[in-house]
Amino acid sequence: MTTKDLIDKLGLRALSTFDDRDVNGVFVSDMMSDVMAGAKSGNLWLTVQTHKSIVPAANLVDVAAIIITSGKQVPQETIDIASKYNIAVLASNLPTFELVGKLYALESFKK
Amino acid sequence: MSECLHQWAMTNVQFGFVVFEKCFHCNSLGTYFSAEDTPILGDKYREGDCYWSRVENAQTFRFDLQCRQCGREEKFGDLMGLLHCTGCLADCEVEAMQKKCEQDRTWILVAFGFIYKDKRQPLPPAKVDILTDYFNQRRDTSRSLIKIVSFDLIKDLSVCRGDFIHDVGMLSLEPPEERKHLF
Repeated sequence: MTTKDLIDKLGLRALSTFDDRDVNGVFVSDMMSDVMAGAKSGNLWLTVQTHKSIVPAANLVDVAAIIITSGKQVPQETIDIASKYNIAVLASNLPTFELVGKLYALESFKK
Repeated sequence: MSECLHQWAMTNVQFGFVVFEKCFHCNSLGTYFSAEDTPILGDKYREGDCYWSRVENAQTFRFDLQCRQCGREEKFGDLMGLLHCTGCLADCEVEAMQKKCEQDRTWILVAFGFIYKDKRQPLPPAKVDILTDYFNQRRDTSRSLIKIVSFDLIKDLSVCRGDFIHDVGMLSLEPPEERKHLF
Protein backbone atom coordinates (compact mmCIF):
# COMPACT_ATOMS: atom_id res chain seq x y z
CA MET A 1 0.00 0.00 0.00
CA THR A 2 1.33 3.43 -0.88
CA THR A 3 0.89 6.86 0.64
CA LYS A 4 -1.58 7.83 -2.09
CA ASP A 5 -3.60 4.64 -1.53
CA LEU A 6 -3.94 5.59 2.11
CA ILE A 7 -5.04 9.11 1.26
CA ASP A 8 -7.86 7.64 -0.84
CA LYS A 9 -8.88 4.94 1.62
CA LEU A 10 -8.87 7.14 4.72
CA GLY A 11 -9.92 10.49 3.30
CA LEU A 12 -6.72 12.21 4.37
CA ARG A 13 -5.80 15.70 3.22
CA ALA A 14 -2.40 16.03 1.56
CA LEU A 15 -0.80 19.29 2.70
CA SER A 16 2.70 18.98 1.21
CA THR A 17 4.03 17.80 -2.12
CA PHE A 18 5.72 14.45 -1.83
CA ASP A 19 7.08 11.34 -3.50
CA ASP A 20 4.61 8.48 -3.34
CA ARG A 21 6.07 5.43 -1.64
CA ASP A 22 5.20 2.15 0.00
CA VAL A 23 4.09 2.23 3.60
CA ASN A 24 5.09 -0.70 5.79
CA GLY A 25 3.83 0.11 9.27
CA VAL A 26 2.57 2.71 11.67
CA PHE A 27 4.32 4.56 14.49
CA VAL A 28 2.27 6.60 16.92
CA SER A 29 4.00 9.16 19.11
CA ASP A 30 4.02 12.83 19.98
CA MET A 31 7.65 12.74 21.06
CA MET A 32 10.41 13.29 18.55
CA SER A 33 12.88 11.40 20.70
CA ASP A 34 10.55 8.41 20.58
CA VAL A 35 10.38 8.61 16.79
CA MET A 36 14.13 8.88 16.46
CA ALA A 37 14.59 5.85 18.67
CA GLY A 38 11.81 3.63 17.35
CA ALA A 39 10.27 4.56 14.00
CA LYS A 40 11.32 2.57 10.97
CA SER A 41 11.96 3.53 7.39
CA GLY A 42 8.68 3.49 5.50
CA ASN A 43 6.46 3.86 8.56
CA LEU A 44 3.55 6.25 8.85
CA TRP A 45 4.03 8.60 11.77
CA LEU A 46 0.85 9.73 13.54
CA THR A 47 1.16 12.78 15.77
CA VAL A 48 -0.51 15.96 16.96
CA GLN A 49 2.78 17.85 16.88
CA THR A 50 2.93 20.45 14.12
CA HIS A 51 6.19 22.33 14.81
CA LYS A 52 8.44 22.42 11.77
CA SER A 53 11.08 20.29 13.51
CA ILE A 54 8.86 17.23 13.00
CA VAL A 55 9.97 17.26 9.37
CA PRO A 56 13.72 16.79 9.94
CA ALA A 57 12.83 14.23 12.61
CA ALA A 58 10.70 12.34 10.10
CA ASN A 59 13.34 12.71 7.43
CA LEU A 60 16.09 11.47 9.75
CA VAL A 61 14.33 8.12 10.19
CA ASP A 62 12.88 8.07 6.68
CA VAL A 63 9.19 7.79 7.53
CA ALA A 64 6.91 7.53 4.52
CA ALA A 65 4.48 10.17 5.75
CA ILE A 66 3.46 12.21 8.75
CA ILE A 67 -0.24 12.22 9.58
CA ILE A 68 -1.34 15.11 11.78
CA THR A 69 -4.42 13.96 13.60
CA SER A 70 -7.27 15.54 15.53
CA GLY A 71 -7.74 18.36 13.07
CA LYS A 72 -4.66 20.22 14.28
CA GLN A 73 -3.74 23.26 12.23
CA VAL A 74 -0.39 22.79 10.50
CA PRO A 75 1.77 25.92 10.07
CA GLN A 76 2.71 26.78 6.50
CA GLU A 77 6.38 26.67 7.52
CA THR A 78 6.04 22.99 8.39
CA ILE A 79 4.33 22.28 5.07
CA ASP A 80 6.98 24.17 3.10
CA ILE A 81 9.86 22.27 4.72
CA ALA A 82 8.07 18.97 4.16
CA SER A 83 7.59 19.79 0.48
CA LYS A 84 11.27 20.62 0.20
CA TYR A 85 12.15 17.20 1.67
CA ASN A 86 9.43 15.46 -0.42
CA ILE A 87 7.86 14.14 2.77
CA ALA A 88 4.10 13.72 2.84
CA VAL A 89 2.38 15.72 5.55
CA LEU A 90 -1.19 14.52 5.66
CA ALA A 91 -4.03 15.66 7.87
CA SER A 92 -7.03 14.02 9.43
CA ASN A 93 -9.79 15.40 11.63
CA LEU A 94 -10.04 12.05 13.36
CA PRO A 95 -8.53 11.60 16.80
CA THR A 96 -5.41 9.44 16.81
CA PHE A 97 -7.27 6.54 18.45
CA GLU A 98 -9.91 6.36 15.71
CA LEU A 99 -7.41 6.74 12.91
CA VAL A 100 -5.25 3.98 14.34
CA GLY A 101 -8.34 1.78 14.45
CA LYS A 102 -9.01 2.38 10.78
CA LEU A 103 -5.37 1.75 9.89
CA TYR A 104 -5.27 -1.43 11.92
CA ALA A 105 -8.34 -2.69 10.08
CA LEU A 106 -6.53 -2.43 6.77
CA GLU A 107 -5.22 -5.78 5.65
CA SER A 108 -1.75 -4.38 4.91
CA PHE A 109 -1.05 -3.61 8.55
CA LYS A 110 -2.32 -6.80 10.06
CA LYS A 111 0.50 -9.04 11.24
CA MET B 1 42.15 -2.67 11.77
CA SER B 2 38.65 -4.08 11.89
CA GLU B 3 37.37 -5.60 8.66
CA CYS B 4 33.81 -5.59 9.84
CA LEU B 5 31.43 -3.43 7.80
CA HIS B 6 29.57 -2.38 10.87
CA GLN B 7 25.80 -2.62 10.95
CA TRP B 8 24.82 -0.33 13.76
CA ALA B 9 21.85 -0.55 16.08
CA MET B 10 20.84 1.66 19.00
CA THR B 11 21.45 0.28 22.44
CA ASN B 12 21.37 1.58 26.03
CA VAL B 13 18.57 3.97 25.12
CA GLN B 14 17.74 6.30 27.99
CA PHE B 15 15.04 8.96 27.79
CA GLY B 16 15.61 12.15 29.73
CA PHE B 17 16.16 15.87 29.35
CA VAL B 18 18.82 18.19 28.04
CA VAL B 19 19.05 21.18 30.33
CA PHE B 20 20.14 24.56 28.93
CA GLU B 21 21.35 27.02 31.57
CA LYS B 22 22.89 30.46 31.55
CA CYS B 23 25.10 32.31 33.99
CA PHE B 24 23.73 35.80 34.58
CA HIS B 25 27.16 36.90 35.79
CA CYS B 26 29.26 36.07 32.71
CA ASN B 27 26.39 35.24 30.32
CA SER B 28 27.94 31.91 29.38
CA LEU B 29 25.86 28.90 28.40
CA GLY B 30 25.98 25.39 29.78
CA THR B 31 24.14 22.22 28.84
CA TYR B 32 23.90 18.76 30.32
CA PHE B 33 21.78 15.63 30.23
CA SER B 34 19.49 14.87 33.15
CA ALA B 35 17.35 11.82 33.71
CA GLU B 36 15.14 14.00 35.94
CA ASP B 37 12.65 16.66 34.88
CA THR B 38 13.71 18.88 37.75
CA PRO B 39 17.51 19.19 37.83
CA ILE B 40 19.05 17.95 41.04
CA LEU B 41 20.84 21.25 41.58
CA GLY B 42 17.61 23.20 41.09
CA ASP B 43 16.65 25.99 38.72
CA LYS B 44 19.23 28.41 40.11
CA TYR B 45 22.53 27.65 41.80
CA ARG B 46 25.99 29.06 42.25
CA GLU B 47 29.15 27.38 41.05
CA GLY B 48 32.24 29.42 41.89
CA ASP B 49 31.77 32.76 40.16
CA CYS B 50 28.94 31.46 37.99
CA TYR B 51 25.28 31.95 38.89
CA TRP B 52 23.40 29.45 36.76
CA SER B 53 19.73 29.71 35.81
CA ARG B 54 17.85 27.13 33.82
CA VAL B 55 16.74 28.53 30.45
CA GLU B 56 15.09 25.49 28.93
CA ASN B 57 14.45 21.81 29.47
CA ALA B 58 13.96 19.67 26.43
CA GLN B 59 12.83 16.08 26.37
CA THR B 60 15.29 13.94 24.54
CA PHE B 61 17.12 10.67 24.82
CA ARG B 62 20.62 9.36 24.68
CA PHE B 63 21.93 6.15 23.27
CA ASP B 64 24.95 4.14 22.25
CA LEU B 65 25.46 2.27 19.02
CA GLN B 66 26.45 -1.37 18.76
CA CYS B 67 27.43 -3.32 15.69
CA ARG B 68 25.04 -6.24 15.19
CA GLN B 69 27.81 -8.26 13.53
CA CYS B 70 30.93 -7.86 15.63
CA GLY B 71 29.44 -6.44 18.83
CA ARG B 72 31.63 -3.33 18.86
CA GLU B 73 30.03 -0.61 20.93
CA GLU B 74 30.40 3.14 20.50
CA LYS B 75 29.26 5.37 23.35
CA PHE B 76 27.35 8.51 22.46
CA GLY B 77 26.83 10.00 25.89
CA ASP B 78 28.66 13.08 24.59
CA LEU B 79 26.00 13.73 21.92
CA MET B 80 23.71 16.49 23.15
CA GLY B 81 21.39 16.44 20.18
CA LEU B 82 20.93 16.92 16.46
CA LEU B 83 20.11 20.30 14.99
CA HIS B 84 18.34 21.07 11.76
CA CYS B 85 19.81 24.09 9.98
CA THR B 86 17.14 26.65 9.13
CA GLY B 87 19.41 28.70 6.86
CA CYS B 88 19.38 31.72 9.15
CA LEU B 89 22.82 32.94 8.08
CA ALA B 90 23.87 32.95 4.44
CA ASP B 91 27.59 32.87 5.26
CA CYS B 92 27.40 30.00 7.75
CA GLU B 93 29.44 26.96 6.73
CA VAL B 94 26.57 24.63 7.60
CA GLU B 95 24.16 26.56 5.40
CA ALA B 96 26.69 26.55 2.53
CA MET B 97 27.16 22.79 2.89
CA GLN B 98 23.41 22.25 3.10
CA LYS B 99 22.77 24.15 -0.14
CA LYS B 100 25.42 22.12 -1.92
CA CYS B 101 24.26 18.75 -0.57
CA GLU B 102 20.57 19.37 -1.27
CA GLN B 103 21.26 19.04 -4.98
CA ASP B 104 22.28 15.42 -4.32
CA ARG B 105 19.31 14.83 -2.00
CA THR B 106 21.62 14.72 0.99
CA TRP B 107 20.23 16.31 4.12
CA ILE B 108 22.51 17.83 6.72
CA LEU B 109 22.05 17.60 10.47
CA VAL B 110 24.44 19.09 13.02
CA ALA B 111 25.67 16.97 15.91
CA PHE B 112 26.02 19.04 19.05
CA GLY B 113 28.23 18.05 21.91
CA PHE B 114 27.60 19.49 25.33
CA ILE B 115 28.64 23.02 26.21
CA TYR B 116 30.18 24.18 29.47
CA LYS B 117 30.84 27.85 30.12
CA ASP B 118 30.56 28.45 26.40
CA LYS B 119 33.28 25.87 25.69
CA ARG B 120 32.17 23.37 23.10
CA GLN B 121 32.83 19.67 23.55
CA PRO B 122 32.53 18.36 20.01
CA LEU B 123 32.25 14.73 19.05
CA PRO B 124 35.37 13.27 17.43
CA PRO B 125 35.10 13.13 13.62
CA ALA B 126 35.13 9.32 13.64
CA LYS B 127 32.04 9.24 15.83
CA VAL B 128 30.26 11.80 13.67
CA ASP B 129 30.95 9.49 10.70
CA ILE B 130 29.51 6.53 12.62
CA LEU B 131 26.34 8.53 13.25
CA THR B 132 26.09 9.27 9.54
CA ASP B 133 26.53 5.59 8.73
CA TYR B 134 23.94 4.57 11.29
CA PHE B 135 21.21 6.88 10.05
CA ASN B 136 21.91 5.95 6.44
CA GLN B 137 21.64 2.28 7.35
CA ARG B 138 18.15 3.02 8.66
CA ARG B 139 16.88 4.48 5.41
CA ASP B 140 16.29 3.78 1.76
CA THR B 141 19.40 5.51 0.46
CA SER B 142 18.21 5.32 -3.14
CA ARG B 143 15.82 8.15 -2.25
CA SER B 144 18.02 10.38 -0.09
CA LEU B 145 20.96 10.43 2.30
CA ILE B 146 21.75 11.91 5.67
CA LYS B 147 25.01 13.65 6.49
CA ILE B 148 25.86 14.48 10.08
CA VAL B 149 28.37 17.27 10.65
CA SER B 150 29.93 18.68 13.81
CA PHE B 151 28.75 21.87 15.46
CA ASP B 152 32.33 23.12 15.13
CA LEU B 153 31.21 24.36 11.73
CA ILE B 154 28.96 26.94 13.34
CA LYS B 155 31.19 29.95 13.99
CA ASP B 156 28.99 31.85 16.37
CA LEU B 157 26.39 29.88 18.29
CA SER B 158 24.83 33.06 19.67
CA VAL B 159 23.36 33.85 16.25
CA CYS B 160 22.35 30.29 15.34
CA ARG B 161 18.60 29.89 14.88
CA GLY B 162 18.57 26.21 13.98
CA ASP B 163 16.01 23.83 15.46
CA PHE B 164 17.01 20.98 17.69
CA ILE B 165 15.20 17.72 17.09
CA HIS B 166 13.89 17.41 20.62
CA ASP B 167 10.66 18.16 22.45
CA VAL B 168 9.87 21.30 24.40
CA GLY B 169 6.74 22.37 26.20
CA MET B 170 5.27 18.90 26.23
CA LEU B 171 3.52 19.58 29.52
CA SER B 172 1.47 22.44 28.07
CA LEU B 173 -2.04 21.80 26.73
CA GLU B 174 -0.99 22.76 23.24
CA PRO B 175 2.49 22.07 21.84
CA PRO B 176 4.28 25.42 21.36
CA GLU B 177 4.39 26.79 17.83
CA GLU B 178 7.47 28.92 18.48
CA ARG B 179 10.59 27.97 20.38
CA LYS B 180 12.95 30.06 22.47
CA HIS B 181 16.33 30.92 21.00
CA LEU B 182 18.69 29.01 23.23
CA PHE B 183 22.06 30.61 22.53
